[in-house]
Amino acid sequence: MRQGLAVLGTVLAGLTLVACGTTAAVAPNGIIRAVGAENEYANVLSQIGGRYVSVTSILQNPNTDPHAFEASTKVAKAVSAAQIVVQNGLGYDTFMNNIEAATPNTRRLIIDVQKVLRVPSTAPNPHFWYEPFAMSDVASVMARDLSRLEPEHTSYFSQRRKIFDASLTTLNKTIEALGAKYHGIKVAVTEPVADYLLREMDVDVVTPFVFQADIMNGVDPSPEDISLEDGFFSKHEVRLFVYNQQVVDSLTNSLRDNALAAKIPIVGVYETMPTPGFTYQTWMMAEINAIVRGLSTGKSTEAL
Amino acid sequence: MHFFLEPGFFSNAPVRTALLLGAVVAAVSAVVGVITVVRSQSFAGHALTDVATAGGSGAYYLGVGALWGFLGGSLAGAGAMELIGVQRVRRRDLATGIVLGAATGLSALFLYLDTTVKATTGATQQILFGSIFSVSSSTIPYVAIFGGLVVLMMAIMRRPLLLTSLSSEIASSQGVRVRMVGVLFMFCLAVSVGLSSIAIGSILSTALLIGPAATALRVARSIAAATFLAIGLGIISTWLGILLAYDSFYWDPSSQGLPVSFFIVAICFVFYVFSGIALSRRRAQETRRPVATDSALSAEGR
Repeated sequence: MRQGLAVLGTVLAGLTLVACGTTAAVAPNGIIRAVGAENEYANVLSQIGGRYVSVTSILQNPNTDPHAFEASTKVAKAVSAAQIVVQNGLGYDTFMNNIEAATPNTRRLIIDVQKVLRVPSTAPNPHFWYEPFAMSDVASVMARDLSRLEPEHTSYFSQRRKIFDASLTTLNKTIEALGAKYHGIKVAVTEPVADYLLREMDVDVVTPFVFQADIMNGVDPSPEDISLEDGFFSKHEVRLFVYNQQVVDSLTNSLRDNALAAKIPIVGVYETMPTPGFTYQTWMMAEINAIVRGLSTGKSTEAL
Repeated sequence: MHFFLEPGFFSNAPVRTALLLGAVVAAVSAVVGVITVVRSQSFAGHALTDVATAGGSGAYYLGVGALWGFLGGSLAGAGAMELIGVQRVRRRDLATGIVLGAATGLSALFLYLDTTVKATTGATQQILFGSIFSVSSSTIPYVAIFGGLVVLMMAIMRRPLLLTSLSSEIASSQGVRVRMVGVLFMFCLAVSVGLSSIAIGSILSTALLIGPAATALRVARSIAAATFLAIGLGIISTWLGILLAYDSFYWDPSSQGLPVSFFIVAICFVFYVFSGIALSRRRAQETRRPVATDSALSAEGR
């Protein structure tokens, strides 16, 4: 028995050594280990970091509700080994803060998009990546932090950031042009997922925010709001229904059916970047095109 | 009146569905609940809600309607308890507890999968605490059919049920098939729990099952009277709860209504507390004036 304990002790000591070994490990060949809490941020980070960064994304399954995500040990391992972490903040990925606290590492750089954009913690809508104008700021912080980790590649990172910014400019010009065209057009939504984008397009989201927040937070909405939302369709008060197709329940399904019955076009939007085949910019462009198609031809795009 | 009945209550489609669904569910729960309390099977009723939770969360995972999950879950749970030995009173709590534990574990698994693998928003909240305003009106016919079946079965089994509840020996000497009656009653209990899970959530469905029934049994002098009173109390609690949830939208400037399940359960509880006060007054009178009184099974429902 005593011998058994001794063996166990040796094994445990070995495990501790191994565990310390992984956190202290330096990335091979100068490749920076990075984690993007959401795959859209991971994608932007790998666009900036190019061949000097290896990015792991945590939320990458468009079939799960990111708001209800629970981290696994695999996630904890990736975060503890990371030299740079990008996360959304504003309560969207609180699990990241927990993992970071559990795997302390003073040299790990953390980019919190909420902090980068100086969004107050009382802001109600965490879906910052639907604001392509803001992603430029995020990219510049990414380039700065990558350069801090590998100063010898500073010009490489800043070159790639310029390429990214140029592609964002195209995207943003499209959005601005649409704003002039669709100013004040009424649309209904289920959740505030694409609200930042819709605001930039200058359309009028008529769904009460309390209802959007209830659906987002998985709380039962009030009957007043449910019948108000249904009324938008039955009375043809909206031109488009923007629907979070990633997170559905019986209520959002019935809203979808009502919109279809009233011949209101539907656009399915995603919280998490659909993969493979999309980059952050092409994904945003696909969502914008789907919205434009709905508004101009009345055609639905339920999935990308 | 305006403060009590906010405008648009009766013309609101989700409210109308909720009123109809709530009434059916409350009535079925009351009918089954009175016998559940008389048979001292409240714990089994509660355990079935946990099994219904597993069924409901499993249904979300499989993409089947929640009603079928709740019904399937509680029926499977009733079957499991029956197999383990719910009929023998001494083993009843043990069988119930074991099924309850296993089912709750299963719920944890399914709810985890619902949120991590399937795109369901707020599955946990909706399964546990209900979502009566977002129930599709197409569910009502199914609820009515199952509810009607249960009420019919309970009406037919009325006498043998009461006999077996009082004494299984006497019942079997009278030619009652005790085991059969017990199995059929568990079926009714399971269906009733499944139906009320749709209305106020699986965890809270015990409240609607036991609350109005226990209140009625304290006050009424016969099982029949208690049943009718329980139906009335159940429907009043549900409807008043729906009304208050609707009104709560206007209480707060942010228009964030409060959950309907809370109101329904709170009203059930208030009725029970008041019935206790009424009961103790009546008892005080009866001790002063000792007349032969046999309140419905010594009032506490045992």
